[in-house]
Amino acid sequence: MDLTIPFATLATVGRIFALIGLAIVSGHLLAYAAIKSRRFENIYVPLVNVFESIPVIGFLPLVLVAFVLTFHGPIGVELAVDFLVFDAVAWNVWIGIYQAFKTVPLHLVEVSDNYNMSFWKKMTTLFVPHSIPRVTSNVFSSFADAFFYISVSEVFTAGAATASLCPGGTCSTFGIGTLITKYTVSGDLAGVYYCLISVAVAVIVVTVALSRLSRWAVAKFGVDTPGPIKRYAGRWRGRLVTSPWRAFRNQTNVFRGYASRLRASPQEGTREEGGPRTAKAAKYAGISIVLAVVALLLYGSASLVASVSAQTWYGFFEETPQLLEYVGADYVRVSLIALASLVLAVTLGYVLATRRRAGDAALPVIQILAAFPAPTYFPLLFIATLPFLEHLLPTLYSEVYIFILGFLSCFYYVFFDFWIGVQAIPSEFVEVTRNYKLPFLTKMRRVILPASLPYMITGISSTINSAWAGIAIGEYWPSIAPKVAPDGLQVKFGMMYYISSNMANGEIGAAAYVSLLFAIVVAIYGIAFTRNLMDLARKKYVVEEGIFAA
Amino acid sequence: MASQSTSSTASSKERKVLEGQDLSFTFPGAQKPVFKDINMFTNEDEFVAIVGPTGTGKSTLLRVLAQLIPQGSGKVLLDGVEVTRPSPKISLVHQSIATFPWMTALDNVKLVLAGSGMEENDATQLGKRMLGLVGLQGFEGYYPKEMSGGMRQRVAIARALAASPEVLLLDEPFVHLDEITANEIRKEVYDLVFNPATTLKSAVLVSHNLHEVVRLADRVYVMNGSPAVIVEVMKIDLPRPRTERDPGFLDYVDLLYKGLNVKAKL
Repeated sequence: MDLTIPFATLATVGRIFALIGLAIVSGHLLAYAAIKSRRFENIYVPLVNVFESIPVIGFLPLVLVAFVLTFHGPIGVELAVDFLVFDAVAWNVWIGIYQAFKTVPLHLVEVSDNYNMSFWKKMTTLFVPHSIPRVTSNVFSSFADAFFYISVSEVFTAGAATASLCPGGTCSTFGIGTLITKYTVSGDLAGVYYCLISVAVAVIVVTVALSRLSRWAVAKFGVDTPGPIKRYAGRWRGRLVTSPWRAFRNQTNVFRGYASRLRASPQEGTREEGGPRTAKAAKYAGISIVLAVVALLLYGSASLVASVSAQTWYGFFEETPQLLEYVGADYVRVSLIALASLVLAVTLGYVLATRRRAGDAALPVIQILAAFPAPTYFPLLFIATLPFLEHLLPTLYSEVYIFILGFLSCFYYVFFDFWIGVQAIPSEFVEVTRNYKLPFLTKMRRVILPASLPYMITGISSTINSAWAGIAIGEYWPSIAPKVAPDGLQVKFGMMYYISSNMANGEIGAAAYVSLLFAIVVAIYGIAFTRNLMDLARKKYVVEEGIFAA
Repeated sequence: MASQSTSSTASSKERKVLEGQDLSFTFPGAQKPVFKDINMFTNEDEFVAIVGPTGTGKSTLLRVLAQLIPQGSGKVLLDGVEVTRPSPKISLVHQSIATFPWMTALDNVKLVLAGSGMEENDATQLGKRMLGLVGLQGFEGYYPKEMSGGMRQRVAIARALAASPEVLLLDEPFVHLDEITANEIRKEVYDLVFNPATTLKSAVLVSHNLHEVVRLADRVYVMNGSPAVIVEVMKIDLPRPRTERDPGFLDYVDLLYKGLNVKAKL
């Protein structure tokens, strides 16, 4: 075994956690700024929602140009990778902290105001502790997201843009994603297996550690905490990695407890305009972070626009109808993947949510699968099944693989959200359905699905975003298995194929233009579909409003 | 040992409707039962109450009687037949008023008729009739969030009545209501139990409000101790309708207070 494999794994995990840490710190400043200034909140929240709904892959061309061309050499590559991973983790963590700050119980805010607590005192004794359960819970999905993107962001090729900057025209930074690509391209399956084992160990250790951390956080920092507080003191770190199975089982209880806690204390904190100087400093720090991110994106966009001639841009404009057809084709693919994910999530999720033993046994397995990045093991699945599938579906096999990769990339989001949604249904409602022996379909149609709708919308939104990432990889993967498929895996009709193939050929302008079109379509989709559906869910399908306990 | 403080009321017929025999319950993982050896029953046309300090398992006992949770030992009988699964014939009205926010008042009531095979028009008519019985005629199209707490609880009661129950289990149903609304609904609930237009034969009320209990109940089970047992059974022999100004009303309240202070011999 290549001894660099464990170090590469550590480098990747370290990179992910450093960026998650950065997202947590900046998220607290931004959230504080948002709850203190209505104006900032009105800009911040929609902006984060838009960024969250645009898949990382849409930023790829802009980021590569901005970083690789600006910061030549390994620093530029590292920054490009870091930005992509940060983009994968930040929005989720930021919005989670903001929601936590918005739901700090009013009476605790009043206590902190009553005793004139300073900004730091408020943060360290109230806001940060209150956000810890949600942060630890969100870090799970952020970690999975980041690990997923590592496989596409640690190694990239951008034709002329990278030809003169990186050896062989392919830019890469040290990490497990780079090693897996290297072994796959060279046909060294043993190397790929060792890498996967290393990734599996990392995923299990991190998942166990986060499970324990999350359980401890909910027990200690949750309002009306459902479980006893465990005091780990000095032995805490050593105990994080013991009894993994028990830790996974406990994680399901963390979700259960957290779901009930979320519905138990939906009070909103008060808003203060002005305040002590440190609070203002925090507010301005938050505003500065948002401005920096926007400026970075604008700078990348401007660099790109300037690097392509006006005539070329005009050519892109003329191609717009064709490009929109590509976008439409990918929307069909994503819709099918999302639909399949939703159907399985609702059926399997309901069974596992209502049958505790089955849930305790199956959920840890699903959780590990969710954290295991699909692109790392997908080539092995491809190699094993290609001869059979190519023979069975000679014209459609690529579509089947794209569907599978997309599904493996995103199913978990809607599944876990629906599962938590079912857990959060008040026991009184469950008792009503049992008391009056509601038929299964009536129960699902009239109670379970409406009650879990807000969770499902959140889940399906994340699922769709991640499905984009899956098909982005699947539509153009020339080096998936050179020995059995010299042309790799690719479809000719699709936006992601267009972006990736143009990127590989150095046509960054074309890739960026279709990315821009895609971003506009996603923003319209986000406003017209996701937001409207979420508004409907908030207005009509808030299950907590059905329980009156004045 | 249970004691009987007064003579029987004239209104109740001596035919058991709902009966719990030797019931005990222990939460999963707990060492000690919440309650044990609970024997209780309701007669036809009888309003029964259960009182006891917080934590004695009164709400849990109601759920065991509804078979929403299984007892550790003992059995529950309805009209002399053992009940082992939840049944619409034993309807529970929750303490936290539970109405589905995405359904109108009428849809909330009609929900329990979904599995009955009733025609849509018939279900609508029955739903409207039940809403009318609880004083909500004209509010059929309202959503719960457009209603006051008292109106919501009326919807929950109408829903329970639409299921044609024999027994109504009331888990502190008035605790979240203001006193004026609570008084109105108390009277309505009592009238419904003895209303020939409903299928109700009896009701079991859990409450901490001893004045409410004396006002409504024909017979009161007092639970106490840990594990809780029934320490006293008290019959309330006062003419109806009852008010706190009735001679003897406060005496019953005092007797219940005394009963609650009696510790079970463990």
